[in-house]
Amino acid sequence: MTPRRPVDTGDPDRLYTVTGGRSRADDAFDLVTLVVRESEPSAGMQSEHVRILEMCRHPTAVVEIAAELRLPITVVRILLGDLLAMGRITARHPRAAESVASLPDSALLKEVLHGLRNL
Amino acid sequence: MSVPAPSSQRRSANAPRAVPVLPAAALVAAAAAAGAAVAVAPDGARTWSLAAMLGAWLCLAVAVVTGTLAVRRARRAGARLGDDVAQARSQAAQLAAECAHLVSVTLPAVAKRLRDGTSAEDALAHITHPSDPQLRRLAHTFATEIEESVRLAVAYDTERRQAADELERTSAELKRLGDELLPAAVSRLREGQSADTVLGELDWPRTPALGAPAESFVRELARSERRAAAAQAASAKALSRVQAKAVSMLADLREMQDRHGEEVFGDLLKLDHSTSQLGLLTDRLALLMGGRSSRAWNKPIVMESILRGAVGRIAAYQRVRLHCSTGAAVTGFAAEGVMHLLAELMDNAANFSPPIDEVNVYVEERSAGIVVTIEDSGLKMPAAAMRRAEESVAGRMTDLASLQGTRLGLAVVGRLAVKYGISVNYRPSSRGGTGVVVLLPRQLLAQQREPAPAGTARRPAAVPAPAPAAAPAPPAPAPPAPAEPVAPRALPARAETPAAHPPADSTPGGLPVRNPGRTMAQAEREREQRRGQDGTGDGTARPERPAVRDAGSRFGAFHRARRSGTTAPDGGPEPGPAAP
Repeated sequence: MTPRRPVDTGDPDRLYTVTGGRSRADDAFDLVTLVVRESEPSAGMQSEHVRILEMCRHPTAVVEIAAELRLPITVVRILLGDLLAMGRITARHPRAAESVASLPDSALLKEVLHGLRNL
Repeated sequence: MSVPAPSSQRRSANAPRAVPVLPAAALVAAAAAAGAAVAVAPDGARTWSLAAMLGAWLCLAVAVVTGTLAVRRARRAGARLGDDVAQARSQAAQLAAECAHLVSVTLPAVAKRLRDGTSAEDALAHITHPSDPQLRRLAHTFATEIEESVRLAVAYDTERRQAADELERTSAELKRLGDELLPAAVSRLREGQSADTVLGELDWPRTPALGAPAESFVRELARSERRAAAAQAASAKALSRVQAKAVSMLADLREMQDRHGEEVFGDLLKLDHSTSQLGLLTDRLALLMGGRSSRAWNKPIVMESILRGAVGRIAAYQRVRLHCSTGAAVTGFAAEGVMHLLAELMDNAANFSPPIDEVNVYVEERSAGIVVTIEDSGLKMPAAAMRRAEESVAGRMTDLASLQGTRLGLAVVGRLAVKYGISVNYRPSSRGGTGVVVLLPRQLLAQQREPAPAGTARRPAAVPAPAPAAAPAPPAPAPPAPAEPVAPRALPARAETPAAHPPADSTPGGLPVRNPGRTMAQAEREREQRRGQDGTGDGTARPERPAVRDAGSRFGAFHRARRSGTTAPDGGPEPGPAAP
């Protein structure tokens, strides 16, 4: 009769109920932004917020949070935006981002590569 | 003839003597007078006077004799007439006596005999016949007439009796038809038996006047039942296809939301929302048509997800504020029903309150179960509407015939409430508007107590039945004990009781505690498990974790390792999987 799909092993929450209908994240976060919590989760918070705060006891990347929560990046960024607005987390770009800037640019590296091959 | 009889008889007795004496004396006197006259007459005249005298006397004598004879004849005639009169009188008297006898004795006797069933001849044979032929004929006619009418009366009486019997039988059958047969037939037809079976099994009245209408009634009812059942089945089947389609669309959309970036995310959410609403509509119809919900969950669903799943199906979900701090979960088999029920009630609340006002949903845990209060700030419902809503949600109006127009939601609520034993009550809200109080009884709740939101990082994803794995013995704050009474309005104040829950499976004294619905053996087993877990770290909990989680934690470990040099030297298993 009615085909019962294994899809029902998922969650009943739709994403728009998680984000309260928002679909645009602010730009404070990219995939590798590191997030660390500033306070303990408190009761009455949305469960995703609680879980993010639990995870972010130590700096955690946005993409990792997304993987852990199994939510799309956009949703995680919206949620992180909420927490940031509440002052419960702080976000910073990984040091790698800065170090990337200080690395020699790709043209130079290519040249080195060429030189090596020509040896 | 008017002469009285006695005088006539007296005269007739005297007459014979008087008659000869008087004329004879008259003749003698006349003869003497004539002799004297002759004697005294002169001699010359003596001869002719003598002749004359003689002649005269002779004439007289003749006259006297004839007169006497005539008188005598007349007397005789008179006597004869008197006899006739007497005879006639006696005859008349006899006739009158016979008449009287006939009227007062004979005819009643005849009538009685005839009534007793004797034939006319027999009855007439036993009576003294009157001498008068007229009277005899009269008696005869009377007897035959009476016999005829007695016969008719008997015939009519028999007919009347038959008719009365038949009437009585028919009315008894009619009563039986109305009191027993038709209700039995209706209920059998409702159960799905065919008209022929029902007609064959029940003892229908044999009177054609009753049997024929009853049969046509049963056949017509069977036809309409079949029609209704076929229509319901067809729509349920068609709806189940729509449901399946909607569910697969939701799954696809969810997958696309993961796959695609932010540029289409909003549109995908919009489609997702529309599809969810479509799902609510089709589920509503399917449930009314006796079908099933589109989804079934195979695991307990926490209240927060239940509420979100419910609110996501209504149009005005952004106006609904959820206040949920309980970690309780609804068992899988009831989760979809509870979600649908709450969605209908929220939809109702949102539709009947001003579009700018919020609908507040509070969840509190009580000893009886979980109380969900849905309050809107719309207009107060009129008493009649409130009563109707109460009746609908109580499941008392389960007949499809009582559905009115497009307001199907509450009827579905009623069915679900009856099915799962959920009580739904309307009451005026203290904020103005209307409040609905939904009590989910304990048997709908998943038995294991979710430790705490603080430790529930994994709850919706993986809930192995009694898994104490998700949290290390959490820090102090305990969730409200099940018995703690909390008024719905006090909910915001519950912030101070964060819902971390100490595993309440042993008393401070170390005795095992059995939660409702759990066997003591199970409680003991859990206690053991927890004890072992406390002692040996993750030992017991690990194996119960799903593999996905391991993948996540491995990735996390990798990531941490990558940057361990730069950030955290204490790179224990901290962020993630709630290391027990």
